[in-house]
Amino acid sequence: MIGILIAQIVVSAVLASIFLIRPSVTTGAAWKILAFIGLCVLPALCIVGGMNTHMQRSEQRRFCVSCHAMVPYGQSLYVDDPTHLPAQHFQNHRVPPDMACFACHADYTIYGPLKDKMRGLTRIYMQYVSSPPNPIRIEGGYKNHQCLHCHAGARSFEENPVHSAIMDSLTSEQMSCLTSGCHDTAHDVANLNHAKFWKATQ
Amino acid sequence: MKLSAIGIQRFLRVSSALMIAGLLLEIVSLLWFHPLSFVLFAFVAAALIGLGIVVYLVSLVFVVTPPAGNRN
Repeated sequence: MIGILIAQIVVSAVLASIFLIRPSVTTGAAWKILAFIGLCVLPALCIVGGMNTHMQRSEQRRFCVSCHAMVPYGQSLYVDDPTHLPAQHFQNHRVPPDMACFACHADYTIYGPLKDKMRGLTRIYMQYVSSPPNPIRIEGGYKNHQCLHCHAGARSFEENPVHSAIMDSLTSEQMSCLTSGCHDTAHDVANLNHAKFWKATQ
Repeated sequence: MKLSAIGIQRFLRVSSALMIAGLLLEIVSLLWFHPLSFVLFAFVAAALIGLGIVVYLVSLVFVVTPPAGNRN
């Protein structure tokens, strides 16, 4: 897919270079049409294709951990501990492994991807211009609706007597899945040095 | 100075130069797998390409080529 986009960009650049070297060719009707395609239609499609590719790429785990501050969070997915929530989701493929970060941290609302991108840009600013917070915290805390996006309606979740007893508190965000003492080990990057790691078999 | 006096060829040259620079930077951003590559794409490459499109469209609107019969 990225190959097709790069080929499209190269074609656009070749057409643009023709009009850069010899703009006088646009006197003919056919060249006028070609100029419109080469200097307006194709470049606009290149912007749309580039944006789409970058948005899809930013959903990949590899993209998230390519940022220095996120490396320990990526390592924490390999912790060999059944109580370690993100590691268990990742290792047991409860989330797509190559999109593990996005699956649990995406804002599943209509403008969610845009808000996520804006938050990402804020973090890039903190990384390169100001200084990143230590430890890194999610603005407003981790919301239950991100867990319930997948777990709500799932038989094993709904039929669990603990969950069914507090379902209203969970859906109204009065009680947090993570900080109410039930599933409280998430990433725990401060203790990674003492953790035992799982090695995936290829 | 009126825009129509600048001439369509100069507009086309400027538009093409902006476009080529933006497209080359877009290729770099696509081959570079890093969060900064999105910044490069969105704030530099797409901006240059967009500006190139605007310059081209301005040339279509403001630069009036006289009809063949009126040329001396």
